[in-house]
Amino acid sequence: MRKSPFFLRFLVAEGNMDYPTITSITEKELDLNALTAQVTLPSTGAAVMFSGIVRGITERGNAHETSFLEYEAYQPMAEAKMRQVAEEIRSRWPSVEGIAIVQRVGRLYPQTPTVLIICTAAHRDTGVFDAARYGIDRLKEIVPVWKKEVSPEGEFWVEGEYIPKAGE
Amino acid sequence: MRVKILFFATLSEYVGAKAVELEVPAGTTVAMLKELLVEKYPKIASAQKSMMAAVNREYAASEQVIPLDAEIAFFPPVSGG
Repeated sequence: MRKSPFFLRFLVAEGNMDYPTITSITEKELDLNALTAQVTLPSTGAAVMFSGIVRGITERGNAHETSFLEYEAYQPMAEAKMRQVAEEIRSRWPSVEGIAIVQRVGRLYPQTPTVLIICTAAHRDTGVFDAARYGIDRLKEIVPVWKKEVSPEGEFWVEGEYIPKAGE
Repeated sequence: MRVKILFFATLSEYVGAKAVELEVPAGTTVAMLKELLVEKYPKIASAQKSMMAAVNREYAASEQVIPLDAEIAFFPPVSGG
């Protein structure tokens, strides 16, 4: 299929539809190596990844201990909003090649990865660091996922601060 | 018309269910539905201010009229990551 120059022109006109975009909500353990391989192309020379981790001991601000976090998602909307975040990344950093945005849900204990954002590009000086940073920041604004914090003192649902506009 | 309403996080704890179905008149807006829910489930009143709404999996304004066969969701500001 890729041997056809005509088809390749079509892909370019469509805005590099052949770049991999992986978005998902999962209960399974996050596999950094497998995910990185999925967004690595022959032209890739840099991959930037961010992973959120369940923090067992918090010292900044209201110091406290965390026994575990319980994550919940509005799955179909969350996956649609993750695809939107990926599209926003592509429109801001057109040099980004592969994008992976994966959120783990369920009960997660301290020192466990909860979310993975990976952006790949040909070179490191292409804005790929900013792209990955934008990915996690934007996920925390618009992707409908919530966490309940359970500690020796009790439990409460964590609430974000960002209020998305209609249609955002 | 019948609407399917989903609740998440604190909201589903206050309502005591993850989903309910309600009969509402045509022309009902998101704000009107919110008031109806607060009446039916008084516990959610405390969360009413920050309560967000999605209609067919898209963030909705309070004045939006609920379309036929809509999937509505109410939830607090998101806290994933």
